[in-house]
Amino acid sequence: MSRHRSSEEYDAIIIGAGIGGLVCGCYLAKAGMKVLICEQHHKPGGYCTSFKRKGFTFDAAADCFGAYREGGITRKVFEELGIDKKLEIIQFDPSLIIHTKEFKIRIWRDTKKTIEELQSLFPEEKTSISNFFNFLSLSNPATFAKIKNWTFQKFIDSFFSNKKLKTILSYPLLVMAGLPPTSMSAFLSGKLYYDFILDGGYYPVGGMQSLPDALANRFQEFGGEMRFCTLVKKILIQDGAVVGVKVENGDYITTRYVVSNCDARQTFLNLLGEENLDDTFSYSIKNMTPSISNFIAYLGIDDTFSHSYPPGTAVLFLEHYNLDKAYKAMLQCDLKNYCGYSFRTSKNNKTINILVPVSFKNKNYWKKNKQKFLDSLIEKAEKYSLPNLSQHLVYKDAGTPYTLYRYTLNYKGASYGWASTVSQLAVPGFKKPSFIKGLYLTGHWSTLGLGIPGVAYVGYDTAKIILRKYL
Amino acid sequence: MADNVQKEIVSIVSDVTGFEPDEITPESNFYDDLEVDSVKAIEIAVAIEKRFKVTVRDEEIPNITTVKQAVDIVEKLLEEKEDNVQA
Repeated sequence: MSRHRSSEEYDAIIIGAGIGGLVCGCYLAKAGMKVLICEQHHKPGGYCTSFKRKGFTFDAAADCFGAYREGGITRKVFEELGIDKKLEIIQFDPSLIIHTKEFKIRIWRDTKKTIEELQSLFPEEKTSISNFFNFLSLSNPATFAKIKNWTFQKFIDSFFSNKKLKTILSYPLLVMAGLPPTSMSAFLSGKLYYDFILDGGYYPVGGMQSLPDALANRFQEFGGEMRFCTLVKKILIQDGAVVGVKVENGDYITTRYVVSNCDARQTFLNLLGEENLDDTFSYSIKNMTPSISNFIAYLGIDDTFSHSYPPGTAVLFLEHYNLDKAYKAMLQCDLKNYCGYSFRTSKNNKTINILVPVSFKNKNYWKKNKQKFLDSLIEKAEKYSLPNLSQHLVYKDAGTPYTLYRYTLNYKGASYGWASTVSQLAVPGFKKPSFIKGLYLTGHWSTLGLGIPGVAYVGYDTAKIILRKYL
Repeated sequence: MADNVQKEIVSIVSDVTGFEPDEITPESNFYDDLEVDSVKAIEIAVAIEKRFKVTVRDEEIPNITTVKQAVDIVEKLLEEKEDNVQA
């Protein structure tokens, strides 16, 4: 062991430079800790990255963020870390259009305007619409805790009777968390509504990559050290406490704290190893369900293409009103029965990303089916939302669940950590496993955090908990 | 019994909030003193339910604001459980 031991010693090593890891690292380094972030990819961001092809810049997965209103968690974190001054952040308004055969519901920056538009379309549900949005805008923690055992279906049934309205208001959750209302946790739905649907559509000018880039730069300004292309293979334990990590080239690096921002399954079963877990714990991890993955089409379009949707706004299309049917089709990667997709045109009108939630399958499945899936997705989008799209394509490619896995090592290319079901709501002992001193988990696999606001919150919270002990 | 329940709950609250066990008293208010937000309220509630194998009624949760109130509710639920077993 001593032969490979690297000479540096750190106060904390963070595994994974996704947003959660970067935020946590910034807070720790800012407080004076000696921090190293190890990232297996050659750039920071996790699911929040951009890439260039044939002159087009595409956002790889995450394509906007939320909770940037006054007092919103993302704004708080960016301000405290001084990121807000390094980025130009714009908000698309409307942030969202929910588009079915009969309705185009727009979600505006001004929730009042959203409520009024919905009330004019569904006059018989006028009071319920106000009550629904008022409940979701409440920030009293106890009120939210009360619905912890509820599904979103039960929650939405308690407000509305119109089935179409209920489907319209549930559909964003199927797209953003990958679950139908019948199994989606009401609490997490409430968080998504508050942090992302009612206050979404924020975008850093220059592309999503500029967000992790700014965080990584800030981290280094705070004295943190960043290593890319550095895959952590093991978390080293001695007498029940973290002592270091072993990286791919065989080096051992010593540290007092390890914060894992990579997937919880990998953290426990591979990096720690089952020999360090008790049987019940191993069993519970192996039996948990990850969230769904995504198929993402990356399309470069020519200058003459135009359509009726504003750039930057996410459009969520669904042909029918049966979300259980859509979910079943998602699991089977059956585009025909899913009958939906979401898309966003870039601010400069040069690219379009089209996204469909699908299950992981395997590498060979996507090797065989990627092109076919991409072509039928373009055909569908052309039919319902973007006429003549195929005649204006200059570039087309796609990321499959396997691509998402390959770049981020998220288990089964899961887009949102664990599936947001009621039974998996909060997993005691994941965020800070009590049987190993000095080990913390952060990011979307550690607790109730979805999307960029969710992981920014968890990254900040993990740092706060560590600093309470360290300082 | 009471001491054990309290000790366990303090340990759960400490894990979730990061406050040291000796900083957490029966009178500590979750929201005002221990910086508990909606996410942490859920984490504490779920951890308590799993640890003691009890179910706290939804409508009771807003009434639990201090550590002592949480201890009292858990003790009540444990007693009910015992009564049911004996019956």
